[in-house]
Amino acid sequence: MSRANTTSKPARGFRVPGLSLRRREAIEAWLMTSPTIIGFAIFFLGPLIAVMVYSMAEWNLLSRKMTFVGLANYTDALTVNADFWQVMGNSVIFAAGLVPLNMALALALALCLSRPFFGVVFFRTIFFAPVVTSAVAWAIVWKFLLQGEAGAVNQMLASVGIDGPNWLREPDWAMAAVIVTRVIKMVGLNMILYIAALQTIPRDYEEAARLEGATHWQVFKMVIWPLLAPTTLIIMVITTIGSFKVFDHIYLMTGGGPENGTLVLAFYIYQQAFEFFEVGYASALAIIMFVIVLALTLVQFALRRKQVR
Amino acid sequence: MTSLSLHNIKKAFGKTEVIRGVDLEIDDGEFVVFVGPSGCGKSTLLRMISGLEDVTSGDLFIGGRRVNEVQPAKRGVAMVFQSYALYPHLNVRDNMGFGLKVRGLKAAEIAARVGEAAETLQLGPLLDRFPRELSGGQRQRVAIGRAIVGNPDVFLFDEPLSNLDAELRVHMRAEIAALHKRLANTMVYVTHDQIEAMTLADKIVVLRAGQIEQVGTPRDLYNNPANVFVAQFIGSPKMNILPGAFVAERLSAAGIGVPDGKVVGMRPEHLHVAGEGDAVLNGRVVLAEYTGAGSLLHVDVGEGETILVTHEGQNEPAFGEAIALGIRPENVHILTPA
Amino acid sequence: MTTKQWRTLNRVLWTVSLLIAAVPFVFPFLWMLSSGFKSASEIFGQPSLIPTVWHWENFVEVFQYQPFARQYFNSVYIALSVTGLTLIIASLAGYALARLRFAGAGLLMLFLVSALMVPEEVTIVPNFFLIRWMGLTDTHLPLILLPVFGPHGVMATFLMRQYFVALPKELEEAGRMDGLTTLGVWWKIALPMSRPALAAVAIITFLFSWNLFLEPLVFLSSLELFTLPLALSNFTDPYGAPLWHLQLAATSLAVLPILAVYIIAQRQIVESFAMSGVKG
Repeated sequence: MSRANTTSKPARGFRVPGLSLRRREAIEAWLMTSPTIIGFAIFFLGPLIAVMVYSMAEWNLLSRKMTFVGLANYTDALTVNADFWQVMGNSVIFAAGLVPLNMALALALALCLSRPFFGVVFFRTIFFAPVVTSAVAWAIVWKFLLQGEAGAVNQMLASVGIDGPNWLREPDWAMAAVIVTRVIKMVGLNMILYIAALQTIPRDYEEAARLEGATHWQVFKMVIWPLLAPTTLIIMVITTIGSFKVFDHIYLMTGGGPENGTLVLAFYIYQQAFEFFEVGYASALAIIMFVIVLALTLVQFALRRKQVR
Repeated sequence: MTSLSLHNIKKAFGKTEVIRGVDLEIDDGEFVVFVGPSGCGKSTLLRMISGLEDVTSGDLFIGGRRVNEVQPAKRGVAMVFQSYALYPHLNVRDNMGFGLKVRGLKAAEIAARVGEAAETLQLGPLLDRFPRELSGGQRQRVAIGRAIVGNPDVFLFDEPLSNLDAELRVHMRAEIAALHKRLANTMVYVTHDQIEAMTLADKIVVLRAGQIEQVGTPRDLYNNPANVFVAQFIGSPKMNILPGAFVAERLSAAGIGVPDGKVVGMRPEHLHVAGEGDAVLNGRVVLAEYTGAGSLLHVDVGEGETILVTHEGQNEPAFGEAIALGIRPENVHILTPA
Repeated sequence: MTTKQWRTLNRVLWTVSLLIAAVPFVFPFLWMLSSGFKSASEIFGQPSLIPTVWHWENFVEVFQYQPFARQYFNSVYIALSVTGLTLIIASLAGYALARLRFAGAGLLMLFLVSALMVPEEVTIVPNFFLIRWMGLTDTHLPLILLPVFGPHGVMATFLMRQYFVALPKELEEAGRMDGLTTLGVWWKIALPMSRPALAAVAIITFLFSWNLFLEPLVFLSSLELFTLPLALSNFTDPYGAPLWHLQLAATSLAVLPILAVYIIAQRQIVESFAMSGVKG
């Protein structure tokens, strides 16, 4: 493939005689990817290594003292600080509540909206609208709507005779409220992924099943659902990873409360680093978060590879 | 007794009328083929019989029962789709047993019926395979097996051979014909290929633009086409159509009258090289396509008309040669132009 | 009941259910807008979608409370910068990874893939120190650079790469035969052919940058430098309680233009997300 004689072909890339084609290609490639490489080295690789280093130090910004303590931060988190396990519990509950709700709703909506009918575009637009809206705006509006007595939601419930709780101030309800509002915001995204997947299933299968006497439910359970399995798996992992990263939504709706009831991992890290200035500890937490997300992402990659085959 | 009866069937999608009034009687055990060019409505008609499409107006009877409002699954029909529609996530056995499982039959019964159908179609060794592991012809047979398993009264085929290569098509045609002989059910078959129609059908229905052009046995359609469209649709290569005036003189000499305004149809396989005395047409060979068994001659007969003539044997006229063509009187068709 | 009647009833029921399901998706926007017109006290009165008195002055007050116009502008130009930079860098690197063979390509891909897996919270602390060391805290530079070189940037690069890989090579090869350099092929042939991917990246990146909250929160302290998300959360009284009428008026101003663009271009926008979801 490489040729030393460059004079008999029109020059490609650098017109430097004596450089083989291969070499030129490589130089061009490195040049074209250099902004990416430099940028990522500075803003990702470096910080990643730094985080790993910091995580092994006892370092509070206010005290301006940094001492190496090995894995003490990790053991603190895992064994000493009760906070940590509450936060992990919250994160798991948040994910466990969000993912199934999101996926079920997304699938239900997709099933309704994957075939053309008058108004299908109208509905798809509506259900996807919160996705493009700023998370901050969405959180602010819902915080407003979910207020104790003055909130529109409770006032509407009151008009039907239901006494609504102070959604964001009561521990159990706060988590539920945060989950549900987040689901409403993001479900449109999974909905269109499901719609795309449903549209790749040939109509013939449904028609054949109908001809053989299957009810709509049977067609779904025995034909559509199995054929959606790869998409479902991937959406599940993506949504789970996404749920671990949620920060803005919770910060703005509940500030982590009540009583740290909605404090999730991403928020905890921010809090420890920028409100308590415990850089070392926050870094250890960050590494833990990294490991979790890494594991989930690897699962996603493995699934994707299986799907392609 | 499962006959089919279509009375003034019409179908419109929105404002577009796709089927414009079809009347048809199909007898019990008949193999009927709907044939016609793309867009003529043959598939739509089939799907209306199956129940996958509504009948806009008119009456549809299966076995004497009016089924316009009846669910597809309860009409006693089974359909073989063009794409076979085999569920990719189920193996052959489960594909064939799907309909039975849906209807709630017991596992033992399902296994028995699937086994039977598998034997009929020689699918035994394939029962545990998945559709993606099967060849086109095998998938076809599984699709047919799935249809058989439900013991339907009427079989519906929607262009089942279109996705197969030419050689396989010939083979599968024979299998379908054998199937019909064995099962003796009423079968309605849709195709755009007139050879499939001719070889398989007891009765052919030629459709164009949502209307029936002619119904008849293959022989009827070949020997007595009702109009130019049917005449040219059936038979390959296409029948030659010439303006009446062109050959009126010579034909009347042979005792065939050609009324004004009519056209004359002559099939390439019926024209032969003739002596001057018997000739109906004179022309010059502009192209001789050697086909092995013989040749297909393109003959310029004057006034811009070129006709096709199939010539048997190995000593065809050469390019540029002048030839005279004759035809037996009974093979001359007088038709009204479209 | 005939099949036809049953079918119509079915359709009506479905439509009604969908409309009911759509309520929590639409209702917040309506409340947001109408509350923006209400006075501070009316907001806590009876729930009514239409305000009794239309307080247009809320919208004026929004601009007086903090340099809102400036903040709006900040969000816009930062989002444009991030989008522009991302498009260039992602398409350059994406093309190189798609078409050029060079040792280290595999390693680079691996490196990028690992960047995908790291959430911003993990690297934000050292990045903060880095930016502080560079003296760039309380500027817009970190808000532009960090998103470009973060997980989102990787996703954009991979999206471009995937698209380039799928392009037919012949056109690029013809360009080479005509004497174009690789960069020339990239600029004159590959890029014009990849408009759908570029549009998708642009749309998603713009929205992503527009909605960023953590970075502005961490890096900015001066009001005039705030971006919209941060500004929106800042409409609070001295005790920290939100001034709802202002906050919602401001939120309306922030959200409505985006919504308007969305409604007009929704097919393109939704397709962009679908493209990134399928490949990203």
